[in-house]
Amino acid sequence: MTPGIFNDGAFEFIRAFLIGVEWFFTAYLVCYSTFLFISVIIGSAALYQKRQQEIFKNVLLKDHFIPISIIVPARNEEVTVTETVRSLLALEYPLFEIIVVDDGSVDGTAARLIETFGMQAIRRPVQRKVPCRPAEEIYEANAHGVLLTLIRKKNGGKADALNLGINACRYPYFICMDADSVLQYDSLSRIVKPVLEDENIVAVGGTVRPANNVTLEGGRVSRYRLPRNPLACMQVLEYARSFLASRILFDKFNGSLIISGAFGLFKKDAVVAVGGYDAATVGEDMELVVKLHDYCISNGLPYRMRYATDAICWSQVPEHLKDLCRQRRRWHLGLFQSMWKHRVMLGNPKFGAVSFISCFYYLFYELLSPFIEIFGIAAAVLAALAGLLDLPFMLLFFCAYAGFASVLTMTAFFARTQTIDLKIDPADALKAAVLSVAELTVLRFVLVWVRATAFIGYRKKKLRWDKTERKKIDLK
Amino acid sequence: MKVEILIYAYLAVCAAMTGFNIACIFLFRRNDRKLYERCGDYADVIRKQMHKDAIDEAHRSFLLKSLVHVKGLLAFERSLDILNREDSAALERYLGQLVPVFARLTLEYSRKNEVQAAYFPYLISRYGFFKGQDIPSINDVLFALLHSSGIYSRENALAAFYSIGNAAHVAQALEIVDRSGYYHHKKLITDGLMTFQGDCRELQEMLWARLDVYSVAMQTAILDYLRFSTGAFCERMLGLLSDHYDSEINFCAIRYFGKYRYEPAYPVLLGYLEHEDSARWEYAAIAAFSLAAYPSEQTVRALKAKLNSRSWFVRFNASQSLDKLGMEYVDVVDVFESNDRYAGEMMRYRLEQKKLRERELRHP
Repeated sequence: MTPGIFNDGAFEFIRAFLIGVEWFFTAYLVCYSTFLFISVIIGSAALYQKRQQEIFKNVLLKDHFIPISIIVPARNEEVTVTETVRSLLALEYPLFEIIVVDDGSVDGTAARLIETFGMQAIRRPVQRKVPCRPAEEIYEANAHGVLLTLIRKKNGGKADALNLGINACRYPYFICMDADSVLQYDSLSRIVKPVLEDENIVAVGGTVRPANNVTLEGGRVSRYRLPRNPLACMQVLEYARSFLASRILFDKFNGSLIISGAFGLFKKDAVVAVGGYDAATVGEDMELVVKLHDYCISNGLPYRMRYATDAICWSQVPEHLKDLCRQRRRWHLGLFQSMWKHRVMLGNPKFGAVSFISCFYYLFYELLSPFIEIFGIAAAVLAALAGLLDLPFMLLFFCAYAGFASVLTMTAFFARTQTIDLKIDPADALKAAVLSVAELTVLRFVLVWVRATAFIGYRKKKLRWDKTERKKIDLK
Repeated sequence: MKVEILIYAYLAVCAAMTGFNIACIFLFRRNDRKLYERCGDYADVIRKQMHKDAIDEAHRSFLLKSLVHVKGLLAFERSLDILNREDSAALERYLGQLVPVFARLTLEYSRKNEVQAAYFPYLISRYGFFKGQDIPSINDVLFALLHSSGIYSRENALAAFYSIGNAAHVAQALEIVDRSGYYHHKKLITDGLMTFQGDCRELQEMLWARLDVYSVAMQTAILDYLRFSTGAFCERMLGLLSDHYDSEINFCAIRYFGKYRYEPAYPVLLGYLEHEDSARWEYAAIAAFSLAAYPSEQTVRALKAKLNSRSWFVRFNASQSLDKLGMEYVDVVDVFESNDRYAGEMMRYRLEQKKLRERELRHP
């Protein structure tokens, strides 16, 4: 007797198929859970070790500065750009310059900067080291002893704006950051530390933390509360998990494939050698990092990319689902483009752990995961139709996974806040506990759909910037 | 069934991690509170001893016993911070009487793990415990730390040597670091040497006398230190402007003459300017920068000629030096009339930048 709507032959085939699916998903989730567990444990241990080092003054204490150029690509950022530049001017670092590249803004981005900082037009020659659209106008000002440059150009996308910034910058290391972000007062001295520790550093990733509902005074956190908006709050937890988990683990074997475009430091010579940012990619930040791996390993060059857990950049995360979906669609496309462009790295023994751990992780648990998860839901529906669905077991499995993942999220969240001496309000701790479950059971599935449909119409969006609604960060 | 066992195993891990999170929250709070209390206790005890002519023997014993534990030492350090703000002179007198205690503790801490072992040299440098003293057992501990693979151990040990102020030991310490095979950024060395608390002249002479002992990277760090600290080495630096030395050493010497004007070096710098189109363009670029210290018509002529160099960096530095030499538009009008786009745009930028600076000075 065959339950459901299928005949005997079809039923047997479906049963065999579903057994295979069951094994696949068990293996898939066990691997993911194990990865998450190992990475959170290693990440937490690294943070606690860092804290011990700070307590026992195992740190570089003096101002060993390396001159840095900060490149801020901006398009239609008139709401935030002056505050961002002001916050950069307040950074506690002896020698740096700021270059704002206005990528064809149609609002008052440039006018705001020119007026606020008394900038003057200047005919400055720019050496073309990496390809980009030319500068149309250049303005300079000396703001509190820091050279502030504004370069206006035609719209060419964020990567193109960054490339022009690289051509114009005068120091051997540059930082790329978003125009709606704020760097913590000590972020520069912390992000250059790996450069002082290791001669082969080509890039250092900073830590991006959501700034929604956080108050900063002089680049210092004066009040830390979780965002009121539940969507932003869930992103705080998601950021904590992903930054703590995968990035610290991958850092251990030089396997980081992402340095956030919101805050990263690069050695200019290395970036010039690989041709700068790829303007044809929507995820230019990831593509650059993958390209640096590819270039250095292919040419047998010693290199190291590091992740600075204590170099912090505060950035607004989207508070509207529409903005979040747009952002994630772009990230997913960027991931696909980077992996496709450098597919030679996948499963290639020459690339070692970068290939067999990092690339495979991003392939199966990031790029393909929305399709795998949708496939899983479809298989569950098929099992229900065939009367083969063991509902209690499925619920147990799902609850165990959700509970496990949310506990790891909470561990990551607490490890990150405790180790940088942020005090958590008890109400926020409770809120984090509830929303960590919601993030895994609701938001995750929304984003699965968004990522799965990211490829629809992507060619049209190539040079577009994210049009996220901008809000000022609470600066005092 | 096997899968269910796995699920329950993961749930057990969840429970353990939740317990770990909660325990951590309470442990951190308790440790912070205890440290704060202990710091206050130390401050009270030390305050009483600080104003005595000689500290009690019992106090020394108390410190020896309690500071062996890192928590005690942490609280002690924080209490010193408080007392330093209250009466730094009295605190210095008090610490001067504790040399035997710190000598013993240095040995104790050298036996602890690397992170804790590196903490004591930090305290030595921070409070100048052994300034001007030569205690072989302390030196041995610090020298041993220099062999460590951890950069912070090496850096803290070097900082302790700089604060003790013995030039011979610093020179020896740099040799150990150099030979250890571990990378130590030259900026850390140069900046560290600038904090040396002993006889700087003696240190400079000693480092110069042993220069050949060090690797090129260490030599450049030392030469940079000499550039930042003294102009007394002009004659000897001139000897480094020879092809027998590594190009990095040559660059350091060229930069030295950019900071300290030395006439015998002038023709050599002008000669380097002619390397602009060869593989040695870096010589030309650095010489163009250094020539700003040699104002003369010949310098201006030579730098103007380099404004049309094929090398961006030579053009950039030549224009910068002409700017530093006070050139105005009328002085360089021939550059604009020469129809050399490269030369013109670079010099125009400098002049516009100069105007901008002047304007900012008028309207800050």
